Amino acid sequence: MTRHNRILLSCVYWAFVAYVFVPLILMVLMGFKDSNFIGFPIRSWTLDWYTGVFADTETLAAFGYSVAIAVLSTVFSVIVGTWIAVLLEGRKFWGRAAIFGMTVLPALIPGIISAIAFRIYARYLGIEPGMGAIVWSHAVHNVPFVVLVVMARLSTLPKSQIEAARDLGADPLIAFLRITFPYLVPAIMGASIFCLLLSFDDFVRSFFLGGYEPTLPVLIFAKLKSGMSPEINAIATVALVLTAVIGVWAERFTRRMNKDS
Amino acid sequence: MSSDPLVRLEGVTKRFGDTVALDNLTLDIAQGEFVTFLGPSGCGKSTTLRILGGFEQPTSGRVLLRGDDVTKRPPEKRNVNMVFQDYALFPHMTVRQNIGFGLELKGMGKSEIAKRQDEIMSFLELTAYGDRYPAQLSGGQRQRVALARALAPDPALLLLDEPLGALDAKLRGQVQQELKSIQRRTNKTFFFVTHDQEEALTMSDRIVVMNKGHVEQDGTPEELYFHPASRFVAEFIGETNLLTGELRGTEGNAVVMDWFGNTLRGHAPGGVPQAGEAITASVRLERLGFHAERPTTANAVQGRVVGKTFLGSRMALDLMVEEANGATLKAYVDADTGQSVGEAPVWIGWDESSMAVLRD
Amino acid sequence: MTYDASAREERGAVAESASDRTFWGRLSSWAPYQWLATFATASPRRQFLILAVFPILWVLTQHLGPMLQMLRVSLTDAYPVAPGVEQHFTFDNYLSFFGDSIFWMPFFRTLIFAGVFTFCTLIITYPVAYFLARHVSPKNRMLLLLLLLIPFWVGEIVRTYAIMILLGNTGAVNMVLRFFGLIDRPIPFMYTSFSMGVGIVYLTALYMLLPLYSSLEKLPKSMNEAAADLGAGAWTRFRRITLPMTLEGISSGCTLVFLISTGFYATPVLLGGPSTTVFAETIAGFFHVAGDQWPTGAAFAVIMFLAALAITAAFQRLMTALRKGDTK
Repeated sequence: MTRHNRILLSCVYWAFVAYVFVPLILMVLMGFKDSNFIGFPIRSWTLDWYTGVFADTETLAAFGYSVAIAVLSTVFSVIVGTWIAVLLEGRKFWGRAAIFGMTVLPALIPGIISAIAFRIYARYLGIEPGMGAIVWSHAVHNVPFVVLVVMARLSTLPKSQIEAARDLGADPLIAFLRITFPYLVPAIMGASIFCLLLSFDDFVRSFFLGGYEPTLPVLIFAKLKSGMSPEINAIATVALVLTAVIGVWAERFTRRMNKDS
Repeated sequence: MSSDPLVRLEGVTKRFGDTVALDNLTLDIAQGEFVTFLGPSGCGKSTTLRILGGFEQPTSGRVLLRGDDVTKRPPEKRNVNMVFQDYALFPHMTVRQNIGFGLELKGMGKSEIAKRQDEIMSFLELTAYGDRYPAQLSGGQRQRVALARALAPDPALLLLDEPLGALDAKLRGQVQQELKSIQRRTNKTFFFVTHDQEEALTMSDRIVVMNKGHVEQDGTPEELYFHPASRFVAEFIGETNLLTGELRGTEGNAVVMDWFGNTLRGHAPGGVPQAGEAITASVRLERLGFHAERPTTANAVQGRVVGKTFLGSRMALDLMVEEANGATLKAYVDADTGQSVGEAPVWIGWDESSMAVLRD
Repeated sequence: MTYDASAREERGAVAESASDRTFWGRLSSWAPYQWLATFATASPRRQFLILAVFPILWVLTQHLGPMLQMLRVSLTDAYPVAPGVEQHFTFDNYLSFFGDSIFWMPFFRTLIFAGVFTFCTLIITYPVAYFLARHVSPKNRMLLLLLLLIPFWVGEIVRTYAIMILLGNTGAVNMVLRFFGLIDRPIPFMYTSFSMGVGIVYLTALYMLLPLYSSLEKLPKSMNEAAADLGAGAWTRFRRITLPMTLEGISSGCTLVFLISTGFYATPVLLGGPSTTVFAETIAGFFHVAGDQWPTGAAFAVIMFLAALAITAAFQRLMTALRKGDTK
């Protein structure tokens, strides 16, 4: 009975693996099709779409734009998120629960509503649609993830570490910089990579807060609306490989760091 | 330097919410003393240590260090260092860097720091481990690094928060000797906190027994062991016979009590209790002597050996004293003495100075 | 080497004038820094304020601010305000939703779809999480979980596009069906609620899988063994032990997936058709046209957010009641 269950469940697992992988594999394959027409079967193969992508200044510009936005917004998210985490972790004060609630709020608001709210607020603050507005909205949206990851790490730092540093003559700031911060580095690295990917993949905020220059997901969306083409597959594949590789590397990296300490 | 003691606590009280952790503690510590605060958990010993280190602020009272009021001073501004219970070594720094941490922040120059690191590492036999990380050291080595790190900035007072708790029993004995010898050689003032009475007896010049936020007794290990002032001290330190009886009065320095019809004479280190009250006296197990005839000691009763337990270096006897309403006593004797279990009565005797009449 | 206290006191004087201090030594003995540090740490209260002011201001202005501003705009008659025009307080934007049934279809469709897709995600991912947590050795577990994480690092748009290729008239599914002679002409999967569902489940599965997995992993194996020992069959064991014990994971997974599902914009646009317009598209419409319709859009967004919150709150209530009922 249990054996049957096990076999049945493992079939379900592998079917699920197929469900999440097959569409992506098909999409990658389609980028090598030697035809303008998206569809199966694929009879002849070509690399032209890829050479086209790397020669297309519009795509390359969108790519660079997305990377720049991801890096900038991540820097803000990490600084702010770490600061909030240090305030919230292991400290009891009046209103702590309310601050924690507000901290995680941006992660819980459905995408479209978050994008609209940011759009209105950017207008209110006088931020023009464009890179600044996108960076700002991504930074705010990603802060909760940094806070949660850093808080989890911080909760495992023995209190005596900071007390020992203070005891040996470090004021609170030096104790933070020399003891707490090095301890948080693995968590901050993990959170950074997560933020980079969230920002790089984000569509809805970039779409509503963007100016004339599209980010990569916005560019793909625009191209899709005017029709499917293997060119899009090639662009999407480049984005896919990049994000998947960074994601896997980050997973392994954070796991190794967590094991070390 | 003036005649101020190294440390003076003046009426220090600490409350956490409704609980009083420390109740009006007043105490002096002299330069070069090895003082141990001993007591069960929650007695206020750790709170005292943390107040001295600057990690807690007393609710009221003052802390003076060499005559300076340091009550409100944060830990980084006190010339006091601490060896933490879990050692709190910095995991991302080598042994050498850990030791150098306090020196750097004192504003010492690099060559000066290096010299001091070498000196303290050779003093504590850590020279071979300078480039290792804490994770690569054994428990005993970590303990020494924690000590080296705390001693390096040359503190006026060294606080030790149960630093031997994490070591295994065999190593602990050895480290106790080492700690005592380090304290003697450096002539530093050690403030040691523990719940282990044996540890306290072995190492200290002076022991302060704490209970429920106040001092039960303050004295040398010998005083505390043989002349406990209160029932709590008598029971917490070592094993003892507690004799409950009634106070008859005093004769000079001696206190006379009635123990189920036997008149016993003892002394009262904790002060003479009120007359007519039920009182308790303590006699250490090894202070009971055995005689065939009635001995000339101040106290003598007749009893029977009803049980014996071999303990290796000595023998524990269970005695029953019929003429004291069948009360039982325990005694330690040499392992090879011929006392045997049986009906034959035996005289048990002890001195006036061996029996402490307890406060309470 | 012996420990010589007097020799050190001499050296202490040398240290005062040390010129080769380390960075931290120099910083901590630099007068302006000392002054600042003393100022900042003068009292625990001041220290706390210095630490807390920025985060509190940030969450108030950046996290809560956009939502409050959206609420404010939804109650005005004009935004952005043109020069020379006065802004008035009004409920009209909310009334326009309740006054025109044209908006009701997409609104209820969104909530119903989100509910149905959430349920589908739960049904699909529960056995997967169960398999990972109960039938895989801890050593392999991480590897198999990581395998599932990889596709989820890929962005929303790319994955939506992948579904388009899978389900198109000349897509892989139709090709396979036709190859086996099961159909003569392609089945039009695309631009239906089906294609939208496949896409949304694809995008949200991970947010369901992880909470389920962690609640299943916490469940002690001995509990099931004890139940089996008492004669409970596999189905009874699942229904009476496993399911109630993982209600917490189910509850948080469903809440998360539901909230995310209501917020999709690009996926319904790309995978859905005219008959599957969702409320996100309606809201977005008010921000695309040149006309001054932001207040209406804001009001609609507020309505949708409140509706989604109310549903998740009711759902969580239900789950808590179920959990309590089981422990009795």
